[in-house]
Amino acid sequence: MSNPRNPPPPPPPLPPYTGPGSPQDVPPLPGQSPIDPATLPKPIRDELQAPDPVAIDTSAAELKDGANRCPKCGATDIRHKTGSDLLVCLFCRNTWHGARVEEEFGLGTGLDELSGTVVASGAQAIDAGSSHLMSFKCSGCGAEVTVNTESQMTARCHWCRHVFGVNEQVANGAVPDAVLPFHIKKDDAVARIRQFVGKRQLFALKAFKEQFTPENVVPVYLPYMIVDGRVSADVSGQGEIETARYTRGSGDNKKTYYDADVYQVERHVDFTVDDLPLESSGARGNLDTRVNTNNIINAILPFDTKNAVKWNASYLNGVSSEKRDRDVEHLRPRLEDQLLSIARHQVEASVNRYDRGVRWEQERLDVHGTRWVSMYLPVWLYSYHEPGRNGGLLHYIAVNGRTGETMGSVPVQHWKLLLAALAVGTFLEGIALWILANQS
Amino acid sequence: MSEDGSLALLLLGPAGATGLYWFLYRHYRNTDKSHAFERETAVDAQPVTGSDRKIDEIKGTRETRIRGDNVHAYRTRVQRLPGNGNGKPDT
Repeated sequence: MSNPRNPPPPPPPLPPYTGPGSPQDVPPLPGQSPIDPATLPKPIRDELQAPDPVAIDTSAAELKDGANRCPKCGATDIRHKTGSDLLVCLFCRNTWHGARVEEEFGLGTGLDELSGTVVASGAQAIDAGSSHLMSFKCSGCGAEVTVNTESQMTARCHWCRHVFGVNEQVANGAVPDAVLPFHIKKDDAVARIRQFVGKRQLFALKAFKEQFTPENVVPVYLPYMIVDGRVSADVSGQGEIETARYTRGSGDNKKTYYDADVYQVERHVDFTVDDLPLESSGARGNLDTRVNTNNIINAILPFDTKNAVKWNASYLNGVSSEKRDRDVEHLRPRLEDQLLSIARHQVEASVNRYDRGVRWEQERLDVHGTRWVSMYLPVWLYSYHEPGRNGGLLHYIAVNGRTGETMGSVPVQHWKLLLAALAVGTFLEGIALWILANQS
Repeated sequence: MSEDGSLALLLLGPAGATGLYWFLYRHYRNTDKSHAFERETAVDAQPVTGSDRKIDEIKGTRETRIRGDNVHAYRTRVQRLPGNGNGKPDT
């Protein structure tokens, strides 16, 4: 209890700022500067006034974290209507459509003029200090509700059954710019997986076949960066054209010889790529087939990303998701590698005349501009864990949630496969020996 | 039949066994599959330009293709010359 005549001592003063850029500094508003740049020397002024990396703001002002209500009745129990891009209110059955990001943010246009690195607001760098746990105070009953954005983007209040979604683009990478809703329904996905495994029965692992229950397939939204780019590429190397072919020797010593002209070949190509998808989860981006089967999920790309709709957490109601943990700068080497591969594919037709092939020796890539948009893409995943050394191997069978493209890894019963191969080998060898025996 | 021919015939068994093993293994495990971004991405390319200069002639080689042919191996990286490489605006 404090005595009114002896007031408590004032709290100790806060430590002074530790200098410019310290975490205590309140960041200035965008475009605001404490010093008028016009008063600074020209080189510094030029540097200050140079354009920042352009960003497309895809945040949805109309949506907020927490309860988002049906525009007609105000209920929060909103779900995605599978097979369409519609959202449906489970209370009054009102349906409405999300805006396509392609038109909303002009992502399909301006590829020819792309310059610098344009990063949409949902694809910005992830702040290492940000938490993947987000808490809301339920506006219905006041209870505290937590959403773990590592795997979920919506949660239901245990007490009053309100549904909450994460819609604001915080710097933990959980909220993307856009989402591509599921079109393939569960029955369809199950049928596709059954068909895929049906033609891989003979040499499949016995335990896999016994435990095969495709009904356990789960819908997952996986994080991707969708990249547009404008680039130039140069390749150089040597190519050979056959000029003569002749045989020397006779009988058993007949050998074929070739004459060829050798050319120094150089090629240049300018091109734009539209909607190249890159995995923006570090774990999913590791495509080492010796230790995982992520290449299966990679193989069901591409998606019809042109139809992606503006982010709304209600699309993910009841569906799990994986959070993005890779930034633009992490993915740039992978993008450049893929762009070089595309360039080599583009110039292939121009070296058809080299009938003895071309050996490319040097390549060069100039990236003029890129545009990065983060998206959640829909995948049906069935998994089976094969026990073994180093923790075994997780086999995936994946169905593209839009196109239905199916790919999978079915574990193999090695002894059976080996036996079959040896049987066929022995049969062939028998034929070979019979031919040799009949000739001599 | 020549000695080479006999040897090739004798290798038929082991080659057939190995070939079948790999073919079936890949059919089940699909370790060779990935996104064919070279073909499946929408690419709008300007006409390819370049030059071809004859530098040599080869006489009497027994090799059927140029050594190190990588014209179809798009994903095999060769020596990378520095470009602007960073997506910064052209200056």
